[in-house]
Amino acid sequence: MWGPLGELAPMGDNEALSSIAQPWVFERLLNLDATGQLKPGLAARVERLSGQRVRVELRRDATFSDGSSVTEEDVVRSLQAGGVQVIQSGGGLIVAPLDSRSPVDALLLEARIFRQSDGKFVGSGPFAVVSQTDMELRLTRRIPQAGHVNEVRVIAYPTPRDAFAHTLKGDANLITDLESRWVEFFRGVPSLQVIHGTGRTTDAIAFNVALPRSERVQLARALESQRVRELAYASAECAESSGTPDGDGIVAAGPVLRVLSWGPFERLALATRRALSDRGGEISHVPPQDIVPRMKGRNFDLVTVRPLRWPPSAMALVWRTGAPHNFVGYSNPAVDRAIDEGDWPAAESALREDPPAAFVCTRDHLAVVDVRIKNPVLGPYDVLETLPEWEIAQ
Amino acid sequence: MTRQRIALLLAALVAASGVLPLVLLAVLGLQILRQRGERSSQEALQAIAEQAAARIATYIAQQREMLRAVGMAVGNQADAPRRLADVSLDAPSLGKLRVVSVETPRAAWPRALEPDQIATAVRGTEVASETYIAELSPAMDVCVPSARPGSALCTTLDLLELQRQVQRIRVGEKGYALAFDRTGKLLAAGSGAMRAAVLSRDPVAESPLAAALLTGTPAPARLRNGEGLDVLAGWAALPALGWTIAVEQPAEEALRGARTALGLLAFGAAVTLFLSISVGYLLVRRMLTALELEERFRTAGKIAAGVTHDLGHRLTILRQIEELAAMNDPDYLPRIRESLASEVATLRRFVTDFSDLTREAKPQDFLPIELNTFADSVLAGAQGYAREANVALEVQRAPSELWVRGDRYLLERAALNLTRNAIEASKPGSRVRLRVDRSDGGAVLAVEDQGAGIPPDRIATLFESFSSTKRSGVHLGMGLPNVRRIVAAHGGAISVKSKPGAGTTFRLSLPVNGSQSSSPSAPATMP
Repeated sequence: MWGPLGELAPMGDNEALSSIAQPWVFERLLNLDATGQLKPGLAARVERLSGQRVRVELRRDATFSDGSSVTEEDVVRSLQAGGVQVIQSGGGLIVAPLDSRSPVDALLLEARIFRQSDGKFVGSGPFAVVSQTDMELRLTRRIPQAGHVNEVRVIAYPTPRDAFAHTLKGDANLITDLESRWVEFFRGVPSLQVIHGTGRTTDAIAFNVALPRSERVQLARALESQRVRELAYASAECAESSGTPDGDGIVAAGPVLRVLSWGPFERLALATRRALSDRGGEISHVPPQDIVPRMKGRNFDLVTVRPLRWPPSAMALVWRTGAPHNFVGYSNPAVDRAIDEGDWPAAESALREDPPAAFVCTRDHLAVVDVRIKNPVLGPYDVLETLPEWEIAQ
Repeated sequence: MTRQRIALLLAALVAASGVLPLVLLAVLGLQILRQRGERSSQEALQAIAEQAAARIATYIAQQREMLRAVGMAVGNQADAPRRLADVSLDAPSLGKLRVVSVETPRAAWPRALEPDQIATAVRGTEVASETYIAELSPAMDVCVPSARPGSALCTTLDLLELQRQVQRIRVGEKGYALAFDRTGKLLAAGSGAMRAAVLSRDPVAESPLAAALLTGTPAPARLRNGEGLDVLAGWAALPALGWTIAVEQPAEEALRGARTALGLLAFGAAVTLFLSISVGYLLVRRMLTALELEERFRTAGKIAAGVTHDLGHRLTILRQIEELAAMNDPDYLPRIRESLASEVATLRRFVTDFSDLTREAKPQDFLPIELNTFADSVLAGAQGYAREANVALEVQRAPSELWVRGDRYLLERAALNLTRNAIEASKPGSRVRLRVDRSDGGAVLAVEDQGAGIPPDRIATLFESFSSTKRSGVHLGMGLPNVRRIVAAHGGAISVKSKPGAGTTFRLSLPVNGSQSSSPSAPATMP
């Protein structure tokens, strides 16, 4: 990895590079399976009472890394810190969002169980933090397991080039968050293997909600086209499941549309303007920190975004009315209703009927890992959450 | 030597003489092929390197040509920025195009171009930087003339495609290409293990060779690469870009064909040799068995002829004695007794001769024998016979003790045989001498007589079995062959010198027993 690591904490700044180690140290009450369904984590049993209410029973054998047992109080406190309302009920817990606009599934996937001990966070995961600096986070497995990864050093190099060079030299065994064009650099290196995992986000063009629905439908069709993908991305960079079926690429005459862009979306913005033909207007490329205020101010027609798309419940965080990541102010009662009922296909369908964005390209997570790891898998939620189960060839 | 050993030796000789020259020729041919294979591999690598260099040069030329065309077409139009952005979308390798003039802030200049280069470009002359690694892939800053006076169209060419080209070059399973900049640093590496050096900019083993190639110093066609592997290499330079291309293939892989052929040949030769020897061994053994059988029949025939002749003679004498006895004349009784005693003695010798034939000399039974004392013992054994023949028998001792090792009984049988032959060959009144001597590091027991000598034509077959011409009825013709067999079994030899009318000398040469000192206290071997 490159750049400072930031502090490893069970909640808060998920953008910190150290958050990659969160799932190894802090367990969740519920995890995600490969199909996007919730499955027990720290919970021994899970029962969905309604779209926004879930009943769980705790595992009794769980302990924190300081040796103390995980209690219901710890769970309640942790969940409440994550915006989840918890009611103790006959040997179990009933959880629901504090704010009904936030989906309980998404909140449970973000909430990690912890306790503060001597001013430090301890978790019940298989690993415990040994030391941490801005440039290195060191973790060891609480109960060593033969043939598995028992010690992890998360090293932050100053630049991607340093990170790549050290990985190629064998100083590091894993590098993640790779762009597809960089992966070529690792092909044919005997000591390394390239692995893929489903990406959680999709590169998209969000629409100003003031645009009429019929126009947004038309724009979505035009921008979710293969042509746009080909112009904006290298071949095979987008997963086959990207976007909806190819649109017709025709945009009816109308006013010129301004494109707001930032960060890595320069080519997507250019491709969007090309696809809009005569309606393609000025492209404003702004610094990343300016993008959310600009979106909230609705000072754009189209904007390049990277919304969460996986798991399906994540759409509640982005597209439900008033949801925390709903920066464009999209509101669709049909979507809200489906989300509240936990009916993700219906929510997806309602989104297509009244699209908030054109979903252009879902990119795989790409990582390069030591070839001695026998079963490296990325995801299904956190990129490296399965690392504790990885086996090492002897 | 046993029949098996003879068979094995013969088979090996025949097989080796047949197969080995062919193998040697084939090995020589393969060595020549290997050398030619190496040369041809190097030529192939050279050709690939030159092709790659040509492709790279063409690619760069195309990029710059495209840039020039864009500069002329777009440079002075009002919507130039938008058009240039569209060009970048269609041709990502051209990078982010921008029009640069003297007013352009330095931060917007291509990073690898110096102010004087920018000034040159703005004046209408194309300029380009050296290649460098931008982020993770090679890049080159280029400014070309723009249609707008006082400006240039500049960009950072993304040479990722070149990196891909280099990484795509594969020779066999393990061959790869490398691209170096003017200083010998890696720009792209097909070998995964060497790719870290592209990013770290650390020099590799080939770096000095690559840099030297640009100055006209030829690079070696075989070398140790950055990983320490023995590789064959082809080189090509792109002086205009300051690049060098090397295409390398591990020698082990490049020459695998010749090595495999050599290995197969060696294996084939070994198998052929083994089969030849095995088959030859079986055939020779069969032939030797047949020969031995035939030899046995022949020997049995000779023995039968000799026995028939000798026993027939004895039978004739015994019949005459029987006739004398039938006369019942007491006067003949002494004569009958003498004749019977003589015939019994003769038949006993006859049996002893046969008995000698069956006794083998076994080295483990050998004992030290002092040859002077041994000669005295032989003299004592033959003295009675010599006296009867009126022949003087004497021993000429060596100046000091002379020890040999052997089966005393067999050696005595051999020496007695020679001594009795000498006595029989001597005229009454003459002398037979047993002479002990040291000669050529060995011990010699010579038996000399003063008889009529042996005719020269007999000498050659003297030691062959059943070749006696005496046929007096008391010789099987096994004496001298038996003597030779006994002496040979002791690691010695027998020779004869004879001159008609001047006597005959038989010499038994035996190895001296070096470990036995000439101490006078050494025990005598005679009973």
